[in-house]
Amino acid sequence: MKKFDVVIIGAGSIGVPLSFYLANRGLKVAILEKLPSTGRGQNRAAIGGIRATFSDPAKIKICLQTIEIMKNMKVEHGLDVDWIQGGYLYPAYDEKTEIAFKQLLDFQKQYKLNNRWITPDEIDKLVPGINRENLRGGNFSEEDGSASPLKTTAAFSLLSHRRGTELFFDEEVRSMKIEKRKIVSVETSRDVYSADIFINASGADAKTIGALARADIPIYTDCHEAGVTEAVERFFEPMVVDIRPDGNSSNYYFYQNAEGQVVFCITPEPKIIGADIDNTSTFLPLVVKRMVQLYPRLRHLRVRRTWRGLYPMTPDGFPIVGFTKEVDNFFLTVGMCGQGYMIGPGLGKIVSEILVDKTNRHDEILTQLTLYRKFTGNEMLK
Amino acid sequence: MTRIDKHPILEIPENRITVRFFFNDKEMTGYENEPVSSALIANGVQEFSIHKRGDTPQGLFCANGQCSHCTVIIDGFPLKSCITPLKADMKIRTLRHLPDLPADDQPLNHSHPKALSCDALIVGGGPSGLMAAIELAKLGFSVVLADDKAKLGGKLLLQTHKFFGSIDDCYAGTRGIDIAVKLENEVRKYSNIQIFTNTSVVGIFKDRKAGLFVDNRQYVIVGFQGLVVSPGAREKMLVFPGNSLPGVFGAGAFQTLVNRDLIRSSRRVFIVGSGNVGLIAAYHALQAGIDVTGICDILPKVSGYRVHADKIRRMGVPIYLDHTVVSAEGNGKVERVTIAEVNSAFQPIRETAKTFEVDTLLIAVGLTPVDDFYEMAKQFGFIVVSAGDANEIAEASSAMFGGKIAGLQMAALLGKETRIDPALTEKAEILKSKPGKIYTPKPVILDGKFRPIIRCDEEIPCNPCTSICPVHAIRLKKNLDSLLDIPEYTGGCTGCGMCVLICPGLAITLAKKRDDKCAEVVLPHEYLPDFKVGDRIPVTDQTGYYLEDAEVVNIRFNKKFKTHLITVLTTLQNGAAVAGIRVQKPAVTQPMPTASFTDSADDGIVCHCEMVTQKELVKYIRENRVRDVNQLKQARVGMGACGGKNCSVVLSRIFTAAGVDWKEVTPGRKRPLSVEVPMSVIINEKDGE
Repeated sequence: MKKFDVVIIGAGSIGVPLSFYLANRGLKVAILEKLPSTGRGQNRAAIGGIRATFSDPAKIKICLQTIEIMKNMKVEHGLDVDWIQGGYLYPAYDEKTEIAFKQLLDFQKQYKLNNRWITPDEIDKLVPGINRENLRGGNFSEEDGSASPLKTTAAFSLLSHRRGTELFFDEEVRSMKIEKRKIVSVETSRDVYSADIFINASGADAKTIGALARADIPIYTDCHEAGVTEAVERFFEPMVVDIRPDGNSSNYYFYQNAEGQVVFCITPEPKIIGADIDNTSTFLPLVVKRMVQLYPRLRHLRVRRTWRGLYPMTPDGFPIVGFTKEVDNFFLTVGMCGQGYMIGPGLGKIVSEILVDKTNRHDEILTQLTLYRKFTGNEMLK
Repeated sequence: MTRIDKHPILEIPENRITVRFFFNDKEMTGYENEPVSSALIANGVQEFSIHKRGDTPQGLFCANGQCSHCTVIIDGFPLKSCITPLKADMKIRTLRHLPDLPADDQPLNHSHPKALSCDALIVGGGPSGLMAAIELAKLGFSVVLADDKAKLGGKLLLQTHKFFGSIDDCYAGTRGIDIAVKLENEVRKYSNIQIFTNTSVVGIFKDRKAGLFVDNRQYVIVGFQGLVVSPGAREKMLVFPGNSLPGVFGAGAFQTLVNRDLIRSSRRVFIVGSGNVGLIAAYHALQAGIDVTGICDILPKVSGYRVHADKIRRMGVPIYLDHTVVSAEGNGKVERVTIAEVNSAFQPIRETAKTFEVDTLLIAVGLTPVDDFYEMAKQFGFIVVSAGDANEIAEASSAMFGGKIAGLQMAALLGKETRIDPALTEKAEILKSKPGKIYTPKPVILDGKFRPIIRCDEEIPCNPCTSICPVHAIRLKKNLDSLLDIPEYTGGCTGCGMCVLICPGLAITLAKKRDDKCAEVVLPHEYLPDFKVGDRIPVTDQTGYYLEDAEVVNIRFNKKFKTHLITVLTTLQNGAAVAGIRVQKPAVTQPMPTASFTDSADDGIVCHCEMVTQKELVKYIRENRVRDVNQLKQARVGMGACGGKNCSVVLSRIFTAAGVDWKEVTPGRKRPLSVEVPMSVIINEKDGE
């Protein structure tokens, strides 16, 4: 049996940064991962967008924290994670969308988000050559940005390892030993691990892992495909999010990363529920047509690769964070609804403060994101 | 000047249209529709792009549309020059770092998906894919056959040598280029085979569909019931200092330039690897008028057929066994190559280094199956078979058999009652055989009548000499009772020379005693003779040892075999030993007086797309405790245009160098697309215009 202060289940977008912030505060941390290396669940599938532009207080707070962390990564730790503060642009092509975005601006201001309405001419400066037919303007948040999910996870993994975190790969958690309302230990395919606190950061597997500790976590997964092009000189700045639905999809979004590649993703409609991560033939024709319609210049860009990942979804589209009631030492950081990568670093820092400092500073977040809420809300900017 | 304008085997087309184009504003000429890369090389251009990492020059590398090293800017667009046909007045520029995306802001006004379906999709129209297509079509299945080249036949199209095997089963004694034509004609007879040339299958998808990138302008989604994976093999690469310099090619790229595009790409080459591919590359080079300084192999024994190796040695090419390449050096292109003997741990002994002045280094260190689609289809639960090199690396003769069997297997899997003749499977296995035992030949005493002297002492699957002899004077010994047995002369030769003409190994001569001093020897010669009757030419024994200058008394040319029969007069004592004509002067093969190399041993390039060196990667693996190839994507390995095609074959050695047991390393996951496709093509924007 191996003994730790904290055992994190899942070495992904959430677990790896969290392990660093806990280890950084002097805790002895282990991560148990069923896959062969870090980030091989859904982190590998994240396209890299990082924004605080949400329509709820918890995610706004968490992601503002993430942006702070990512901004300072190079200066503070000497690690380059390809952070680019290119902003997020939500163009509006009809009146209904324009009104909705403008209403959202008022809300966003309350939370100190620097979103603003920009004109078609301003949009054309950020995204030269964008289709201006019926373009009414857009909601632009210049402090949002992007970074490399692969490099971010590698960086946190390295930092965490340097502070003593032990990572165990190819080890699937099979059972938990519970005595007197406490998880005493977890058993993997190789060993047994005991700890004071166990954290469920297992992404798409969160429901199964939760059940081991008697928690009923309402998570299901749906499948999303993404792609990346060849690299070219930088030609546009922001992440462009088109929220207009068409017959087969709802929103899609794309940006140009530090390598010069355009990375893109689409939300199929109806949703494809399940855990299939194999590519389909329908994705590229669907997303490419929409992208070239919006931004004709992309037509000459060559698509290099596509992949598919899962969104661990909750019924209301918001994450689940906090201790469960069934046992005393089981903490959830699950149900990231496809935003785990941008939530991970900020949430890691916040959870470390909750667990180490026992602060009540973050109670608002915990209240909003508790497992025991009604799950009736709805996230507008999915 | 750098075009091949005469060739002993290949016909030089006469109706090509010369067009003018510009490279970095300089006017040049080339042939219309030849690959831009070939036109550039024919004009002496080697540097195609400058990589953003370290301003590294890049040249043509795969010549196969698979990597992106040959990207240049053509009329404003970054395009792979090896798959872009040359047109009049093209304005071509060196690509420096990243290209600019052209500001083409015309709104999208046309797009439509293209789809079709078939019983069987065949990926790759080489010998095995073509045979599979024929079998399936015969049984009434609808077939889509996709091949990424302009002509069907795969690597057969690059093979100017005669094939091993047997005449009845697999066209033995016929040249690869001619077999390709026979197979293509056969395939084109069937209306239920839909052929897509210039077409890459860029992805196999979970919904039992494949994406086809057709002719640089269409994207067609093909639904299929079964999949035949026959895309051939990928060349293994080596990591050594200078391995990314323009002028370092795979042997396949070299054969493409020389034998398909008729470009004399080099003045003087050195070849790493003594397998059949390396040996044949030397033969192709010499036929194209390119000097071959030598061949080296890290192993103590030639890896290819002995008859091939002997043939190459006779032509005047030394083979350095127990030697490896230490470095390639030069200013922006290969100018020098250094090799050295290796110790028992296969490490170079630097004191034994020899440096050669060459402009090209060919890598021919083996092939690895292209089985990505096969593995993916298996994982998806599709009906799938593989054939040819994708199934197992072997000669084209066995690929034809394998393809036939794969076609029948697929038919059975698709529900047709078929019987696969066990004899077929057996022959396919025999044709795959590695070279076997070597026998010591019996000495031959010449008399006044011509007789064949057969220098074929190693068991290989080949027997055309026994089939072609009109008086059945040659038969296989009955040691193994198979095609592997070695041939022997049993008497009754008429001196017709057919066996000399057909032997793929050029291993047969005819000889007779003329008088007490002289012998008359008939030798095969697959070069344009640079001598005439009455001249004296250097002749060698079986393994290339110089014997004497012999007088040429007769020169005959056989049109069918495109082979010359050269009759020489030799001293009687050498008559039975004379086996070939040295075509290359010994001076060509001399190393520089002193070895000259500077780079350290571990800064070769592993990932050519992203220019990641071995040193960087070993450090990354150690520092990040990497045990999963997918983690290397963090260091950009596998993220480039080629999708890990090039680096995946050398990674085992890199992990080993980093002290990690390769067996513990999780393999990288392959994802579509296997070749980059422009967005406008994915939506068929230009289609129908």
